[in-house]
Amino acid sequence: MTWKQLARREVTLAIACVAGAILFQFLSPYFLTAQNLATILRNSIELLLVSLGMSFILATAGIDIAVGGVLGICAIFVGWSVQAGWPLAALLFIGPAIGTTLGLVSAALIVWGKIPPIIATLGLFGVYRAAIFLLLGGSWISGLPDTLGPVVNRSIGGLPVVGIYVLLFYSIGWLIMRWLPLGTAILATGGNEGAARLSGVAIGKVKFFVYGFTGLLVGFSAFLYVARYRNVETSTGGLVALDAIVASVLGGASVLGGKANLLGTMFGVILVRLLQNGFVLIGVPSLWEQVITGVLLISVLILDALARSRKRFLTVASP
Amino acid sequence: MRRQIQWSACLVVGLTLFTSEFGLGQSKPKVAFVPQIVGIPYFNAMEAGGKDAAEKFGVDFVYTGPTDTNPAEQLRIVNGLIDQGVSAVSLSVLDASSIDPIIKKAKDKGVKIFTSDSDAPNSEREVYVAQALDQDLGFTIIDELAKRIGEQGTVGIVSGEATATNLNTWIKFMQQRVKEKYPKIDLLPPQFAGGTAQRAFQLATDLMTAHPDLKGLIAVASTTCPGVGQAIESAGKIGQVIGTGYGSPNTIRSYLKSGAFGFSVLWNPRDLGYLTVWAGKQLIDGKPFAESNAVPGLEAPAKYDSETKVLLLGPPTVFTKENVDQFNF
Repeated sequence: MTWKQLARREVTLAIACVAGAILFQFLSPYFLTAQNLATILRNSIELLLVSLGMSFILATAGIDIAVGGVLGICAIFVGWSVQAGWPLAALLFIGPAIGTTLGLVSAALIVWGKIPPIIATLGLFGVYRAAIFLLLGGSWISGLPDTLGPVVNRSIGGLPVVGIYVLLFYSIGWLIMRWLPLGTAILATGGNEGAARLSGVAIGKVKFFVYGFTGLLVGFSAFLYVARYRNVETSTGGLVALDAIVASVLGGASVLGGKANLLGTMFGVILVRLLQNGFVLIGVPSLWEQVITGVLLISVLILDALARSRKRFLTVASP
Repeated sequence: MRRQIQWSACLVVGLTLFTSEFGLGQSKPKVAFVPQIVGIPYFNAMEAGGKDAAEKFGVDFVYTGPTDTNPAEQLRIVNGLIDQGVSAVSLSVLDASSIDPIIKKAKDKGVKIFTSDSDAPNSEREVYVAQALDQDLGFTIIDELAKRIGEQGTVGIVSGEATATNLNTWIKFMQQRVKEKYPKIDLLPPQFAGGTAQRAFQLATDLMTAHPDLKGLIAVASTTCPGVGQAIESAGKIGQVIGTGYGSPNTIRSYLKSGAFGFSVLWNPRDLGYLTVWAGKQLIDGKPFAESNAVPGLEAPAKYDSETKVLLLGPPTVFTKENVDQFNF
């Protein structure tokens, strides 16, 4: 293993995860149990899916603040469908369908309306939050029947079945990024939109794809959310956008676009959830975990900036 | 011809409504209550209680409020009620800082104005009809839980936002109660879940992992109740860990029935609405509140603190598997 490999973000994060795990195990005998590790994985699911989409969006130099609102709205419709006793296939379909539609709405504002992504999705987030209140009418959907429990709570060979869903989606993501022309187009769009357009990349289509794909993932997260918690409250989704941005950037994405590291994103989410779990297990108030996540994020960005300036210096210095 | 009949029917109905609204030959005084928002189960329950009291005490009850929690809209509605000539108007205050002018206007017009459910403590309101004291809410949850776990064992707390004053006050009283009365209960420091059931689920699961002998879990914010209940069910700890919290019956009904929640503590908004209309009638009649007031139709006497002008509904209500189906809010 060379130093260059070690410097890869996913390796750094994996090491951080292991280091954290050793520390927590040292302080709490309950940390490294199969059950607790499965718990950490289960509790990462929704964020893993949303972050995957966010990585795609960040790669195009975009951002989606509205994902929390989309998750909430999708969850309401999934919840109502469960109440109405719809068949499983329909329940699986409705979340992603609505999510994709709302994702395409964001893309339409950004591509056709020429509104900067952060503004467009911030506006939509407000609209969606209000819509959630109106749809729920101040009372939550609670006490849903446990029809979806078996779909999400099962384990196959010790691995929670939800983990398999995540692996499937990440494989698709990796396939697109690594092997399809679309992946190159996404990175080119974020790297230099003007240059990409001149080289014939269909910028609009690329953006419709990334926001739509994210909507699909968010819709599926909403399905899992309802299946797992059997409850939809007005705050569902909340600030998941911020958590997803943190995880993606930790994982190696750049808010300036042109970069994507799906494996890094995955480890970024796991690290955040592992810290949250570990802090409770060793009896530290959960507020501290936010401090640690914040410090981690800032240090990563500083390291990035340092590495970049060094590179630029070298390029300028060379004849 | 048919159309004419329809028109005249409309006219008759309209006139009837008009006369009843503006009370030609008015006999009953009007007591109004303006909630923070209409159309949610909590305030619907208050409305139902208000109606019952209006019938019992011979007043007309007017219930109207904003469709979203907009303070300006709420004040506009209160203003309209004063102009329409109600005898007393109560409101669940949305913005305590902007209420003074409307209170002055009411007083100038001889309309009794008071607060209920949510107060503006520094204003000139006649009285505040309060649902429950923070101390009672904190103490009751600990007492009820202690009874169910044999007054010993480890108990975790999952709260909402770390900045929420009311939640932190309740936690403070829980800690005080445990310290003073239950030396064998180990009350863990609170964990904060923010606003989502998802994070509450996560924290509750982690607390159960960290403390395999955990006896109870208290969900302080109503948003954390479903997460905690669900976590106890998913961990297969029903019977070993007793969940509880400040959750409305509709929110925690399924967890009470499954046994994940042993009980929940809150007040009964129906009774709060009832007491509000009774208080309005007292004010209109110019009867002062006694230190303890027996209100016909309410079980517990309503205590009155003349210093702070607070009329208290009484001890909090404990909801259990047995009584939860009597409530819908």
